[in-house]
Amino acid sequence: MKLLSLSYERFRNLEPVSFEPSPHATIAVGENGQGKTNLLEGLYLLATLKPLRANRLSELIRFGSPSAKVTGRFLINGAEREISVEIIPGGRTAFVDGKRAGSLDAYFGGVSVVAFTPDDLSVVKGGPDGRRAFLDRSVFNVQPAYLDESREYARALKNRNKLLKDHAPMSHLQAWDATLAKLGAKLWVRRRALMTALVERARASFQRIGRSPLEAQWHYEPAHLGEGIDFSAASEAELTERMLERLDARLTRDVERGFTSVGPHADDVEITLGDKPARAFASQGQCRALVLAWKVAEIENLQQANGFLPLLLLDDVSSELDPERNAFLMGYLADSGAQTLLTTTDAALVQRAAGADTKWFRVRAGTLTEEFRSASSTG
Amino acid sequence: MTPDAINRLVAQLAKLPGIGEKSAQRLAFHVLRSPPEYARALAAALIEVVDRVKLCSRCFSLHDGPEGTFCGFCNDPRRDERLVCVVEGIADEMAIERTREFKGRYHVLHGVLSPLEGVGPEQLRIKELILRMQDTPIEEVIVATNPDVEGEATALYLTRLLKPIGVKVSRLAQGIPMGGDLEYADQATLARALAARRDL
Ligand SMILES: Nc1ncnc2c1ncn2[C@@H]1O[C@H](COP(=O)(O)OP(=O)(O)OP(=O)(O)O)[C@@H](O)[C@H]1O
Ligand SMILES: [Mg+2]
Ligand SMILES: [Zn+2]
Repeated sequence: MKLLSLSYERFRNLEPVSFEPSPHATIAVGENGQGKTNLLEGLYLLATLKPLRANRLSELIRFGSPSAKVTGRFLINGAEREISVEIIPGGRTAFVDGKRAGSLDAYFGGVSVVAFTPDDLSVVKGGPDGRRAFLDRSVFNVQPAYLDESREYARALKNRNKLLKDHAPMSHLQAWDATLAKLGAKLWVRRRALMTALVERARASFQRIGRSPLEAQWHYEPAHLGEGIDFSAASEAELTERMLERLDARLTRDVERGFTSVGPHADDVEITLGDKPARAFASQGQCRALVLAWKVAEIENLQQANGFLPLLLLDDVSSELDPERNAFLMGYLADSGAQTLLTTTDAALVQRAAGADTKWFRVRAGTLTEEFRSASSTG
Repeated sequence: MTPDAINRLVAQLAKLPGIGEKSAQRLAFHVLRSPPEYARALAAALIEVVDRVKLCSRCFSLHDGPEGTFCGFCNDPRRDERLVCVVEGIADEMAIERTREFKGRYHVLHGVLSPLEGVGPEQLRIKELILRMQDTPIEEVIVATNPDVEGEATALYLTRLLKPIGVKVSRLAQGIPMGGDLEYADQATLARALAARRDL
């Protein structure tokens, strides 16, 4: 898969623009607040239909405009496809080759993307919801069906919580318990499979990046699952059964709180460094290395699953990493051959990722200008 | 100025689902341009529908016979009364009927369980289904609610209610539509179909 061209209309602060990225590294340089992250956000939206950092998609529409649109031409499995997403307040529409993409699966055939943003750093130190979202993005990247499945689960959960608050009769509640447990077990199995595929790779890449004698470990922690079940080996049917039991066992408590306390929505990923919880003890630099190791594992896993490398988006390279790890990352990117879009305030920081075919852009007040420079010069 | 009579017609038409103000205007002018018999026939058909079509008091399908009688499905002696297919709405009943494969009776719930929208068992024709079990020899209930979250919960609710009465409860199989549309099936459908695969 290659991104051949990209264009933005009324997207955030970006002036209408259309450009052809490099098959390898494309680097956007600019001061703070000029529109660099906006550039990545547009591409991320195109590849996932989800916002990279906005809470609501409508935030992406340029102030005072009725709608926003991002269009990309991709080379997918040897064929050129034009994909675009239009956002209006309250909705988004995806188009493939000018036709409205009726089902989103047709859309998610061949594009995948891994993003590195400064916000990812809070994954290690922040609350469990951040880690779940982080994990879910990774699952979705390899399993597009996961998007629908997790939406269904969320809907069943909301319905059950409503019944808890309304003190609905048991007969009605049980029907939703069973529905929720089935969907919950499905999400568990998907998340578990991803953890299995990623953890070993992540540990190995942490060894390379972390420059630390400590071992890193990622462990999926199902909340309140109870004793006597091996989460790592249980079948989907056994997990369904167990979730049902636990929903039942914790019912009184859940009714009191008006909230369901068992299920994938309550779980966490425990990250440890030398057997100590990273959340409490990891240094800032170690957190960076942990996140980076996970993303590298994700890239490798996607390459193996899809047969092609994902698009890589790296936002604000300077604030993300210290010089040594930055050097590792830039070297890794250059060697991997992946198509990459990087942003930075300081071109010198990304120099190692640059090659002869690197394209440089200057971002100033939402305007993108290509700059021509020789591969060796910095500026 | 448009005459009030036209404005009134446009306003009524614009209340129909899928009809905006502009389409309503187009429809109104179309009626106006057509021979007056058309408008009279349309009005008569509209009134007849509300005056005559009711719900069957046994299965809650649509029915235009006299008050207190049952619908065509319930009255047809060739249809097997031991087999009942439970559907969410009339449109689903029509879809199953189009297959001409089903020779049992129906029961229309007129909705699905949806706590978020305030729909509980009392809002559906569930009690009537249970009562129906008491005076007809029903052996199997096929639950044909949609395979979405609400449809599944409704199916489970019915199963828990019916199984103890000693009736067989089955659910429509889910999978890939016939006709070689594998490549067009969405991921969730394909995933479900894979999970429910069978031996050959
Ligand atoms: N919907 C919008 N319409 C117009 N302008 C917007 C919109 N949303 C954000 N902006 C503007 O975009 C600019 C921020 O762009 P962006 O976040 O891409 O900056 P950046 O170049 O990544 O900066 P930094 O280096 O600080 O991360 C701000 O000036 C902000 O006011
Ligand atoms: Mg930024
Ligand atoms: Zn009837």
